[in-house]
Amino acid sequence: MWQQVEQALRQSAQQVLYKLASFLPALIALLLALVIMTAIGMGLAALLRRSLTAAKFDERLARNSSATISDWSPAHSPTALLARVVFWGCVAIGCFIGISAFDAAFPGESQISIFVLPYLTHSIGAVLLLIAGTLIARFLERSVLIGAVNAKLQYARFLSLGIKWLVLVLTAAMVLDHLQIGGAVVELAFGILFGGIVLTLALAVGLGSRDIVSRSLERSADLRSNLDPIPGDPDFKATTTSEPLRHF
Amino acid sequence: MASAETNIDLTSNAMPATTATTTATTATPATASLLVSLVPLSQEAFEATLSNLALAFPNDTVLVATPDTAPQLSSGSPLRLIPYTPTAVSATPWVLTAADYLNTYKLAQENRVTSCLLLGAECQSLQPETIRALASSTLANDLSVAHYELGPREGLVNSAILYPVTRALFGTRPRFPLAIDLGLSLRMAGRLAATAQRFTASSQDDSFLWPLAEAATANFTIAEVEVTPRTIPQPVKRDLNSLLALIAGSLFADVDAKASFWQRARGTQPAQPLPQTAHVAEPPDTAPMLDAFRLAYTNLHEIWSLVLPPNSLLGLKKLSMLQPESFRMPDNLWARIVYDFILAYRLRTINRGHLLGALTPLYLAWVASHLTLISTGTPPEKHIQDLAAAFETDKPYLVSRWRWPDRFNP
Repeated sequence: MWQQVEQALRQSAQQVLYKLASFLPALIALLLALVIMTAIGMGLAALLRRSLTAAKFDERLARNSSATISDWSPAHSPTALLARVVFWGCVAIGCFIGISAFDAAFPGESQISIFVLPYLTHSIGAVLLLIAGTLIARFLERSVLIGAVNAKLQYARFLSLGIKWLVLVLTAAMVLDHLQIGGAVVELAFGILFGGIVLTLALAVGLGSRDIVSRSLERSADLRSNLDPIPGDPDFKATTTSEPLRHF
Repeated sequence: MASAETNIDLTSNAMPATTATTTATTATPATASLLVSLVPLSQEAFEATLSNLALAFPNDTVLVATPDTAPQLSSGSPLRLIPYTPTAVSATPWVLTAADYLNTYKLAQENRVTSCLLLGAECQSLQPETIRALASSTLANDLSVAHYELGPREGLVNSAILYPVTRALFGTRPRFPLAIDLGLSLRMAGRLAATAQRFTASSQDDSFLWPLAEAATANFTIAEVEVTPRTIPQPVKRDLNSLLALIAGSLFADVDAKASFWQRARGTQPAQPLPQTAHVAEPPDTAPMLDAFRLAYTNLHEIWSLVLPPNSLLGLKKLSMLQPESFRMPDNLWARIVYDFILAYRLRTINRGHLLGALTPLYLAWVASHLTLISTGTPPEKHIQDLAAAFETDKPYLVSRWRWPDRFNP
């Protein structure tokens, strides 16, 4: 009996070692492809950065267009942004090559790349969606906040946060949908959340603006009544106007 | 410079329409040394300007370039009209734009004049003596800039930002960097046209140019001419946020473009004689401006903290707690704020549109502080000169942070 147990163990150990031995070259091929493409990406990005800096790309772009790429990547120049795009593009290509090499070097008949490659493409798309959504949310949040503050709206912060979360919720729903996670639950949750935020904002702005609207109506009513008396009437009062401000 | 002039020559050759119109409507061959370039004016304003020009130059032949329909002048008139077709209709007719400078230089080149006068909107209010003084100054200087006498509540953007920044960085004396009445020598006009061409080539005809900075960079001579009285044109669109962003953005971009010059420029301007401006009799209504500032302080603190150092933020915090009657923004705090915004504009710390939008409440706080101060009896011009001196004193801070933006800044 012990002989049978020993034989079973030896056989399973042999199988595991064999599997590992055939798996390692595939793994090394994947890592090698990734490392080489990362190095190529770094080299290309450095070259691109240097040549664009020499050509004064940032200055030219800033001079020739009012809304530049850098508006969407505030902390970096367009040159840095392009260099990063090239670098990450090379890394993504390295991933594709690595997975294909892994698939080719692995002796099994699993055909991993048929399942992994499309999902990897979806994942990259989802990451791009997430980055774009976050940038747009931040941009819109600041735009609304500054615009609302300059328009002297007391609920400026609330409004800007509402806009930010609207975009973030939309982005999250799109990312999950892109990754095919959650299915109908995500759609339902998104609908409830999005609708909830819009309703909250509408109620808040509506209730917050109630005073403004009533003041505006009162003012127009006062104006109408003040327009009636003319100079010479007992009700007529000459208005004293202070010197206006001229900023320009 | 030579290449720039070549470019302009090429462009003017490529526009035969302007030349053809000019030749066809000029009755007699014009041999004059002065060209007066006018912006679009109403019929009455145009006629009043022509009569003022005729009075200003009774014995000289003067070319008058106008984009309007030119009337027939009597044969004895010293004026020779040169109608021209502007390349585009300006969206900001209250200030001179790149297209104005370019058109003026083209016409000056075609008619071989030695100097030009550029008169902005509402120029019918200029007195003949004033126009003559501007023209005389142009004979001796490359750039003659108008000096307007404004009330204590007028031209506040100029007093708060344009004048102090231009004076501190470029070491120029004139009080109105964005003056709309200018006298230019031919080489100054050529330089401005070369700069203007960069904007017009990318269809930015309405861009502003900063003649004082251009003249200082080229080491040209600058003079200031008293231009009073004069009706100052006001922008049709009265949205302060967009206008302030437009003007401050243009100035900041020009400062960025000329960094290699102003970092080397040295020298403090001598004190100017202070004009006797009227004091503000009634206390100003600063409440709306202070409300705007306090609202911004509670909401925009996060954005300001990306641009301003902790010391300035502390100053703003103290400011937000002051009572209206004692509201006073220190000059050095305002100078630091403007310099930090210029730096953030250069470094693109945040989106430039957001940056300039976040400046508006701070500017309103400065206006409230200025009005509160002058209501206590301080002459407005004294405060403006003190402010400009504070900008000059703090210039090393800007230079240092410009060169080493990542250095620790408390």
